[in-house]
Amino acid sequence: MEAESEFKEYYAKNMRGISGWFKARVYTIERWLYAAHRITGILIVLFVLVHFYSTGWHPGLWWDALLGIIVTFHTANGIRLILAELGFAVGKPLLIKKPSQRPVSIEGVQRYVVVFALVLFVVLAAIWAYYALVVQPMMG
Amino acid sequence: MASEEAKEYVLPPEVLEETMKASEELWKPVRKIKFRIYKYNPRKDYAPYWEEHELEVSRGMTVLDALLIIKGEADHSLGLRYSCRMGLCGSCAMMINGKQMLACQTRVLEAAGSGDVVELRPLDNFPVERDLAADFTSFFEKHRAVKPWIIRNDDVELNNPTGPYKQTVDEYARYYQFTDCIKCGACLSACPTAATDYEYLGPQALAQAYRYIVDTRDDGLDVRIPVVDTEHGCWRCHFAASCSDVCPRGVDPAQGIQLLKKLLIKRKFGFKPHKPAEALPAKVKAEKKE
Ligand code: SF4
Ligand code: SF4
Repeated sequence: MEAESEFKEYYAKNMRGISGWFKARVYTIERWLYAAHRITGILIVLFVLVHFYSTGWHPGLWWDALLGIIVTFHTANGIRLILAELGFAVGKPLLIKKPSQRPVSIEGVQRYVVVFALVLFVVLAAIWAYYALVVQPMMG
Repeated sequence: MASEEAKEYVLPPEVLEETMKASEELWKPVRKIKFRIYKYNPRKDYAPYWEEHELEVSRGMTVLDALLIIKGEADHSLGLRYSCRMGLCGSCAMMINGKQMLACQTRVLEAAGSGDVVELRPLDNFPVERDLAADFTSFFEKHRAVKPWIIRNDDVELNNPTGPYKQTVDEYARYYQFTDCIKCGACLSACPTAATDYEYLGPQALAQAYRYIVDTRDDGLDVRIPVVDTEHGCWRCHFAASCSDVCPRGVDPAQGIQLLKKLLIKRKFGFKPHKPAEALPAKVKAEKKE
């Protein structure tokens, strides 16, 4: 009986739940970045918990490079989000709209900021990977 | 004389014929489309189920047209909300092939794309009322929570107005775009934050809060701060911008929310949001006319 009413409530409420974070296919790229930001954020928290326990511990070689990808993505996209959420790079409200107006906050300067964040991510991740895969093993 | 004037407005026969042909072309059935429609009555059914209907659609037929034909001819029990049929009332927003759109503004063939199935569901993240109709109670509550009206402190002027309030074009442009909201709920439904946070005020309410806060005629900033500057207020938004992506009216709520955050941060550093509008006294108006 209990289970049945819960089941009914689930459908009546029609909330997407966590799957809603990752429903990005039909939307713009910002939605993918949102989903990736969530995942990387959660993974970083998990790593930090281990890191607190033993600061010297590292997952090692390829895992280190993966950790780099996670951290640098969160950093680069985080910079973009800080800019946007402080009200920069989202454009100005319009006085005159076209009949099928696309949102200025997405199609305006934000396009360049997204590209900038992605390039920054690739550069930082490459440096980190170089350090983790080449420099670190050499130093032993 | 009158008839001669009227004659000038009659289309030449060849143009008339062309127009008639174009209109016939627009309403000629061109393709068979399968509609998968979500059926669920929370008061009666154990679980939702899908119903399928096939329909010959024309190029001009909107999803709402198709739904009304289905309701009239195949399934009288189909529940949906609609009113104006021209994208002004915001009643018929639903999930059309997985994206929030107005049924009255979306043509069937446009929604189907190269496929031949159109899947219709009620809006995500809204409780289901019946079939395609969503329950907007909490959505309107959130809208009401931000006090979407002009709040003034000068009671004397309000009760005995001496004239209209001054506002420049720039000041008008700050909020004009957000006044176009038709409360269709598409933005709240598309928001990934709203998918897990039932209490999140949502893009619509926050954009409206911004619309009234930046209006120079409004003094209600301090009244609205406790509503928007909270955990479930504007700081829950992380700029996925899906709300702006789906808005059928080009309101761009994501932009409004980010500007609202900027305004709140500025205020924390002691900046005033704007100079309040002064009343344009009747005397000045009369002088100007002269
Ligand atoms: S902001 Fe746009 S999508 Fe949201 S309720 Fe208003 S019109 Fe609909
Ligand atoms: S910009 Fe904010 S309100 Fe709009 S969809 Fe994203 S998280 Fe939701």
